[in-house]
Amino acid sequence: MTHLELENLASDYLEGQLDAVQKAAAEAHLRDCGVCRDMLGDLRRVLELCRAAEDIQPAPWLVPKILRATVGERELTLGERVSAFFRPTAQPRLAYAVAMAIFSLSVIINAAGLSLRNVTVADLNPRNWFYQANRSGHLLYARAEKFYYDLRVVYEIESRFRQLRSQPSEPQQEAPRQEPAPGGSTERDHPAGTQLASVEGLASAAAGSFAASKLASQRSNTQ
Amino acid sequence: MDSDLELVRRCLKGDDSAWAILLQTHTRKIYNLCYRFTGRTAESEDLTQEVFIKIFQTLKTFDVGQGTFATWLNRVARNHLVDHYRRTKKDRLTASLDDEESGVLEEKPSAQAAPSVHVETRELKELLQRGLDKLSPDLREAVVLRDLQDLDYAEVAQVLGVPEGTVKSRINRGRLELARVLKRMEQVRGPAKAAGSEA
Repeated sequence: MTHLELENLASDYLEGQLDAVQKAAAEAHLRDCGVCRDMLGDLRRVLELCRAAEDIQPAPWLVPKILRATVGERELTLGERVSAFFRPTAQPRLAYAVAMAIFSLSVIINAAGLSLRNVTVADLNPRNWFYQANRSGHLLYARAEKFYYDLRVVYEIESRFRQLRSQPSEPQQEAPRQEPAPGGSTERDHPAGTQLASVEGLASAAAGSFAASKLASQRSNTQ
Repeated sequence: MDSDLELVRRCLKGDDSAWAILLQTHTRKIYNLCYRFTGRTAESEDLTQEVFIKIFQTLKTFDVGQGTFATWLNRVARNHLVDHYRRTKKDRLTASLDDEESGVLEEKPSAQAAPSVHVETRELKELLQRGLDKLSPDLREAVVLRDLQDLDYAEVAQVLGVPEGTVKSRINRGRLELARVLKRMEQVRGPAKAAGSEA
């Protein structure tokens, strides 16, 4: 067998496809020919290299791109639509937000003194919600109005007090000129004193009325 | 494959999901075929898309008597690649070496292997691809279909549309040529690298 003949049969020899006669002739030639042995060695290496070569992964967007180019935007199935609708919600930050909302709501309910255990079927009726909200609104308004009038009374009393306290300062300035009468002060010496006492009485009466109105509002709340 | 035939039938009835399955099954093979011919990622992606558009448009002409769907697909892809090769021959002659290198470097190593294995595997891949680029199209397509796409001689003959004897001859010549090219390239790169890749 010549170099050229062996070269033409090299792949068949390596793949074991030669018949016995050809194989014996090739091996006889290879025993004496170093060049052909090198050539077969190189060829074997090429085959190994090709077998070891892994498939290259195409880009993940290639298939969707080809799909769009061929069948266009595919009509989504119901399941795909549902999953696409809920896809944005499947995020940890949403779960965190929901947990925080539940926590805040429970804190507000506790602070408002509501007990979810005592909730009845009637409480779930929207008409009752409206009635309760209306009542609470009116009560709040009435309480605010009463508080405002009470505050007016208190301010009025305070201003009267200030006025009366400023009045005795004039006779005190003139006092060193007059001789104080023996036996203590009289009503004539301090005419504002009686007025002050009467205002104090008025203040206590107002405070009493304020407390009474507060009590009345509390009663109305409990009712 | 029977499943391919069933999918083709469903495609012809207008079932888009069957086309999607066919696409997912065969895209990788066709992409690899294109990549082995061009050596460039972006070009291979474009060619893969063009091949499948052609397949989609001519699906009615697929004849079961002429072979499997995979063989037909490979034949259409091969013809498209030959057309592309002829179209871009002039451009390729003037293409810069940088372009070639960037095409090879775009490959991503697998996540499991160690870094040293990455480098070695990558160098071997690069070497193989550059060696294939040096072959004539006739020899290259024969070697790629047989040794990289794992088709048998009969299938390669069907894809190329030539007798089996011619296929065998081309594959043998292609391998010998590739071995010479790789040896030459390793000699240029230096004995140290050659010794490393031998190991």
